[in-house]
Amino acid sequence: MAADLPTQIQSALRTHTLPTPSRPWLRALIPNRIPPPPLASLIATARMRLLASDLTTPSLLDPSYSAEHHIPPRLVNNPEIDIGRLPCDVVVQVLDIENLSRSRWEQVEEMEAVARGEMTRGREVIRVVSEQEEGEEGGGDERGVNGVNANEGNGGGNTGAKATHKLVFQDCTGEKVIGIELNRVEQIGIGRTNIGEKWLLRKDTRISRGVIMLEPTYCQVLGGRVEIWHKVWLDGRLARLKEAAGVNDRR
Amino acid sequence: MTRILCVAEKPSISKAVAGHLSGGHFQTANTRDTYTKNYTFNFDFGPPWGHSEVTMTAVRGHITQLDFPDDYKRWEYPPPERLFDARIQKSISSDKKNIAKNIEDQARRSDVLIIWTDCDREGEHIGGEIRDVARKGKPGIVVRRARFSNIERAHILNAARQLVALDDKQVDAVDARIELDLRIGFAFTRFLTLKLRPLGGPMSELMLSYGSCQFPTLGFVVDRYFRVKNFVPEAFWGIKVIHERDDIRVTFNWIRHRLFDRMAVTILFERCILARYAKVTKVQEKPTKKWKPLPLTTVEMQKMATRFLRMTGQEALSMAEKLYNQGFISYPRTETDRFDKGMNLQALVQKQTPDNRWGQFAQNLVDGAFQQPRQGRNDDKAHPPIHPVTYADPSVLNENEKKIYELVVRRFLACCSEDAKGVSTGVEIIYGDESFNAHGLIVVERNYLDVYPYENWTGTAQLPRFRVGERFEPLEAEMTEGKTTPPGYLTEADLIALMDANGIGTDATMAEHIEKIQERQYARTVERAGRGGNQNGADDDNADAPAARGGRGRGRGARDGRGGRGGRGGGTARGGGRGGVREFIPTSLGVALIEGFDRMSFDTSLGKPFLRKEMELQMKAICEGRTTKQAVLADSISKYRQVYEQSQGELGTLTAACRQYVFGNGAAAG
Repeated sequence: MAADLPTQIQSALRTHTLPTPSRPWLRALIPNRIPPPPLASLIATARMRLLASDLTTPSLLDPSYSAEHHIPPRLVNNPEIDIGRLPCDVVVQVLDIENLSRSRWEQVEEMEAVARGEMTRGREVIRVVSEQEEGEEGGGDERGVNGVNANEGNGGGNTGAKATHKLVFQDCTGEKVIGIELNRVEQIGIGRTNIGEKWLLRKDTRISRGVIMLEPTYCQVLGGRVEIWHKVWLDGRLARLKEAAGVNDRR
Repeated sequence: MTRILCVAEKPSISKAVAGHLSGGHFQTANTRDTYTKNYTFNFDFGPPWGHSEVTMTAVRGHITQLDFPDDYKRWEYPPPERLFDARIQKSISSDKKNIAKNIEDQARRSDVLIIWTDCDREGEHIGGEIRDVARKGKPGIVVRRARFSNIERAHILNAARQLVALDDKQVDAVDARIELDLRIGFAFTRFLTLKLRPLGGPMSELMLSYGSCQFPTLGFVVDRYFRVKNFVPEAFWGIKVIHERDDIRVTFNWIRHRLFDRMAVTILFERCILARYAKVTKVQEKPTKKWKPLPLTTVEMQKMATRFLRMTGQEALSMAEKLYNQGFISYPRTETDRFDKGMNLQALVQKQTPDNRWGQFAQNLVDGAFQQPRQGRNDDKAHPPIHPVTYADPSVLNENEKKIYELVVRRFLACCSEDAKGVSTGVEIIYGDESFNAHGLIVVERNYLDVYPYENWTGTAQLPRFRVGERFEPLEAEMTEGKTTPPGYLTEADLIALMDANGIGTDATMAEHIEKIQERQYARTVERAGRGGNQNGADDDNADAPAARGGRGRGRGARDGRGGRGGRGGGTARGGGRGGVREFIPTSLGVALIEGFDRMSFDTSLGKPFLRKEMELQMKAICEGRTTKQAVLADSISKYRQVYEQSQGELGTLTAACRQYVFGNGAAAG
């Protein structure tokens, strides 16, 4: 009976549009006890673990799946192609995200202010208390100190809701590809999108000059994140922004 | 007959009130204070006193002062921190002794004391001082207070017959503020001066004052200075589409505005070109308005004066005070931006009809164009918005008084007029996957703008006809490139707005703090260099949209920051560019002090507005009876004492900042 479990899990995950894990990986996942845990909980565990994994981990995915669901290198490595389309569904993971609607410096200023414990609302300077101290009155002010606020709180229109983001994705073969929001995708945002998060890029997703054109109808967030990547990304964000902005000295 | 003593806050008010109450018939007697006269006359205050014998006199501001005892006069010893709990004594200021004596003597002969000080917190406190002095002369004297906000005759007569009690809560609040300012100011001033003078050089002679409003004010200046100085320009790209129809050239703006990534814009642009045709998705033509201004508050008046009249906030306020003392305008210290429904505004408009600049406009309002002013959200419950009380012929005013009077009148008439009206047209297209829009504005009726040159609203060329669903091949499409520019240094209007939004000072004292940081050589002003439009949202021309009002709801503070692209339709004509705008730049000393405190590992630096804001809120709480003077004193003193102790512990940080900025060394290490 237990021999059938991996197959059952595989097919269940497939219906959830998740990538198909390899049988060895699944076997390692299933606890060696009798009777085995219920199928539903095994599926849930597999799903969670899969979403938290690095897709390029060797023998994580079923070879037949990997063979069919990856980005054809000719599409992304050939900037000559005006407009192409993905020939199949591909699950990718997020490696990086940038808000292209705000200058890096503006984002640096805001991050530094938050680090000092300040935020601005209009002209008002608001003290922000670190997460732990939250929960008293004024909790509303602190909302998203390390999160959503990156998109709030300064004019210029293209904040949060209307911003255009650029993401770096990676498929299970290790192929990296850039995606930009051709149309706004609500789930994308600094502080909202996790690094290592899994995305499904649907068949027929448009590609221009090797860049994925993100549109709500052609992509779906599957969730998850790779903790360590996310942490490294967060910790290094300020330095990356500064470098990209061309800051060479510090005060 | 009941004998009544009336005391005003200043001699000019005492004379004006005496004139109104007596119908112009009073006797004048000198007092030992050269500026103060006693006017005697009869007046019927109505019940319970009826026909009374009145002596009207005045003080000149506060009579008493708070001091540390003599053994605290030396700076070196006792150590400054002892000032946080040293005994303090209240005494009559040496230059006010004659005034106090006069009140004491007059009180002895009177049954009732009526206080006619200005109706604000400070005035209430002065009233309290007058009461205390009067009680020395006659312990059981009955004390009443007149509530008034301008010295127009009917208003004064009315106030005289509707007396109220003195508000001890407000007296207490000011008492607390004065004590805190004294203790905190002295302790930190002595601390800074004693600790930093030994650095020698330019610092050895300085008086390094600290004030709980001064420092945050300076903090704003320093903060902006660094934002300008550290600014890193970045390139951005955009897409512009131009089409010509009916001989009109239309520019369509990209909905994404701009992106800081050339590759992304290139790809999106290329997709437009590949699509070849643009499709019209929306055509809209709708009436629009530019809202007339709100009734005038002190802060708004100061901001406008610094922006349009080449005056400092301080000058503007003192001019307005002169106008008030002469009876031309209402009390100029007010937070209220809504007129009471009961006020006869039309009668006030009528008074402006003789003027040859705005008389005709006023006449039109009288003849039926009058509209009730917009109602702001602030009401200090003491004073109406600043408005003209009587007509002042230009010949009786000096240059600066004239300018402020004109501002007050024009603002008032604008308030009583109608919003400007226009028609805005908008066309949206989709080109490839990119959306663009074009706007047109036609101003139909200028209305209030005719009397209000401080704002403008200009129409644009009419847009040609487009139909929803039609496709066209744009004449031109191009990728544009630009660079971000740093914000400007703070103007006085910006600074006032920041102080206001952050609760630093009251509308009446903000200008003083701004003066102070210059006087202390912490900051200076320079003429703004001929830069283009300013970036920091100081511009009030928020076109047709009623500004989203956030925060304290005054319509300030919440306005879009940079790039405010809200209503491109028109009205961005004004802004920077105009000469004569002064900007605030900190001196190296100012930078050193703020940086010094910012770098200490405090919860809240003295250079930040938080501590002061809290204090200001507590004053309000005393006035509203939610806390007491004692509680506030205990709380604030302990907070500042803690900061003091920390500052002492981290003095090295402060001296390092001074060495770095004032002496220009240690920069590499810093």
